[in-house]
Amino acid sequence: MAIHKLEVLVENEPGVLARVAGLFARRTYNIDSLVVGPTENAKISKMIIEVSVEGHSLEQVIAQLDKLINVIRIEEVLEGAISNTKHDTQPDYQN
Amino acid sequence: MAHVPTVDGTTMNGATSLVKSLEAAGVDVMFGIPGGAILPAYDPIFDSTIRHILVRHEQGAGHAATGYAQVTGRAGVCIATSGPGATNLVTPLADAAMDSVPMVAITGQVPSLAIGTDAFQEADIRGITMPFTKHNFLITNPQDIPRVIAEAFHIATTGRPGPVLVDITKDALQKEVTYNWPTSIDLPGYRPQFVPNQNAINDAAALIATSHKPVLYVGGGVIKANGARELLELAELLGAPVVTTLMARGAFPDSHPLHMGMPGMHGTVAAVTALQKADLLITLGARFDDRVTGKLSTFAVNAKVVHADIDPAEIGKNRYADVAVIGDVRETMKALVPALKAALAKSHPDLTPWLDSMNKLRATYPLGYDVPSDGSLSPQFVIERLSQICGPDTIFAAGVGQHQMWASQFVKYEKPRTWLNSGGAGTMGYAVPAAMGAKVGAPDATVWAIDGDGCFQMTNQELVTCALNDIPVKIAIINNESLGMVRQWQTLFYDSRYSNTNLESKRVPNFPMLAEAMGCVGLACERPEDVDAVIEKAMSINDQPVVVDFRVHRDAMVWPMVAAGTSNDDILIARATAPDWDSQEL
Repeated sequence: MAIHKLEVLVENEPGVLARVAGLFARRTYNIDSLVVGPTENAKISKMIIEVSVEGHSLEQVIAQLDKLINVIRIEEVLEGAISNTKHDTQPDYQN
Repeated sequence: MAHVPTVDGTTMNGATSLVKSLEAAGVDVMFGIPGGAILPAYDPIFDSTIRHILVRHEQGAGHAATGYAQVTGRAGVCIATSGPGATNLVTPLADAAMDSVPMVAITGQVPSLAIGTDAFQEADIRGITMPFTKHNFLITNPQDIPRVIAEAFHIATTGRPGPVLVDITKDALQKEVTYNWPTSIDLPGYRPQFVPNQNAINDAAALIATSHKPVLYVGGGVIKANGARELLELAELLGAPVVTTLMARGAFPDSHPLHMGMPGMHGTVAAVTALQKADLLITLGARFDDRVTGKLSTFAVNAKVVHADIDPAEIGKNRYADVAVIGDVRETMKALVPALKAALAKSHPDLTPWLDSMNKLRATYPLGYDVPSDGSLSPQFVIERLSQICGPDTIFAAGVGQHQMWASQFVKYEKPRTWLNSGGAGTMGYAVPAAMGAKVGAPDATVWAIDGDGCFQMTNQELVTCALNDIPVKIAIINNESLGMVRQWQTLFYDSRYSNTNLESKRVPNFPMLAEAMGCVGLACERPEDVDAVIEKAMSINDQPVVVDFRVHRDAMVWPMVAAGTSNDDILIARATAPDWDSQEL
């Protein structure tokens, strides 16, 4: 199963995490890990999402994510390009 | 964007700011019902230039907004209170999302300090509607109202249209603020691509100009983009067969010789086969819905795909696209015509054999129906006569089920925005309120709802709204005293065991009496020889809504049919009857 790491810039607004998590759940995308944190710009937060795209194309996951109005930019992080701490947090909808 | 400088900088409460913002956004009508949390807004609505139509159920407000939007192309607006008022909008919002209808829903919310306390009439409508709104907002600060309303209309009407919900707390409506309509919109995460990439256009043209069996697969996006004229030009330039999906009926004239009809589960043999046997699908504002493709792995297996859509997420969602063209589909077609002319000058395959074989299929397997041998009324005949008598300027709205499929098959559509239905969501009860909204949006047009007896019993209360507000719609109830499409599936797949599909609607209710009770004219018809006279009678009444109870044969079935989950290759033209493929050269 291919796991891809996405760096997602979102507007720092209430409900943004629910929008992203809900999208992944209803379109049956699997989140392997999710980290949310602030950026130097208080209006923008950063999410690091590791997604396993078995059965879905990465392009489709990114395109659906990009349709969320609060999502500003999505970049795939290639291995070794950026070092991030991996969290084991599993959203409760994941099976 | 409209601008109302006279009130800019004025102090007012949030409710007045909301109404001024709706006026500034160009709203001329909205459908709604007041209640506690939204009540502050109803005071300035009383003085507004906006026509507010008091409906009888919030679901009616939502579908009316959809009907209005579908005929005008502008955003439909509905308004409701918190809690149950808002949750009653859930179905219309889901419906509008599935069919890409521009809509703005305004809901009241409990005071901001009460949020999260399970307060009276509290519902997390923003959370509830996240999956099927294009975007939604919760306003707790009255200063945000003009900006959010401007953003809501911008989001609903640009890019791929869709519903936007704006939830506003009661205290935000009550507090005093200084009103300022925004001069610009700043949504850093929302930049839909309108103009297509020229390289993609050239690639599409090159692929089209080298294909021998191309088909124009036309979806509802062509109507949303007002692209009917450009489609006609493109189709005639190429001379390829055209199919129009359920959402695209009217995008291309049914009378046009290149038109093979509607594809899909109840599509024509010619349209379904054109897609199946094509070597290229020129996909315009369509999304490879399962009702069109049938079993996806067997759909159009020899075809390459040009996919033009304004929504990048539709590209490759269900079917790989060899060439993707992102952008407004009208702009795409405008750009494609000169590019294709240039490409055809270099290579112009002869499409005559392909077109001939499709024409032969269309002639061999036209849409048809059996007339009941007992002399009772055939539902298809009623719908066919409605179309022939009322003509191509009439707007038709359907509910969901057999009558909807017959209305898509036997009404002949010549113009865009004359066919309204709940395509993606399949919402029973859509027709009456959608027809109401359509009539408000196009008051000079004749608007017929073609409804089922099951659907009609879900939302007919809006005929009271129509009667009281001078909205003279006409309703044809195709009364087969059944949940007809479900009954058809029971006939075909459940050994004719009719579990809970018998509505007994020829006994109760008495539809003409019900119509009269709601301030409408009630008529009934049960003999084929009376159909024309009753339609003409209904057409002669323009100062009141009219309901006609067409009491039809209950065993009529919708054909052709591709059973759910099966291949389009297994299309049947009648029960256990496949087309005679051996006699066709494809």
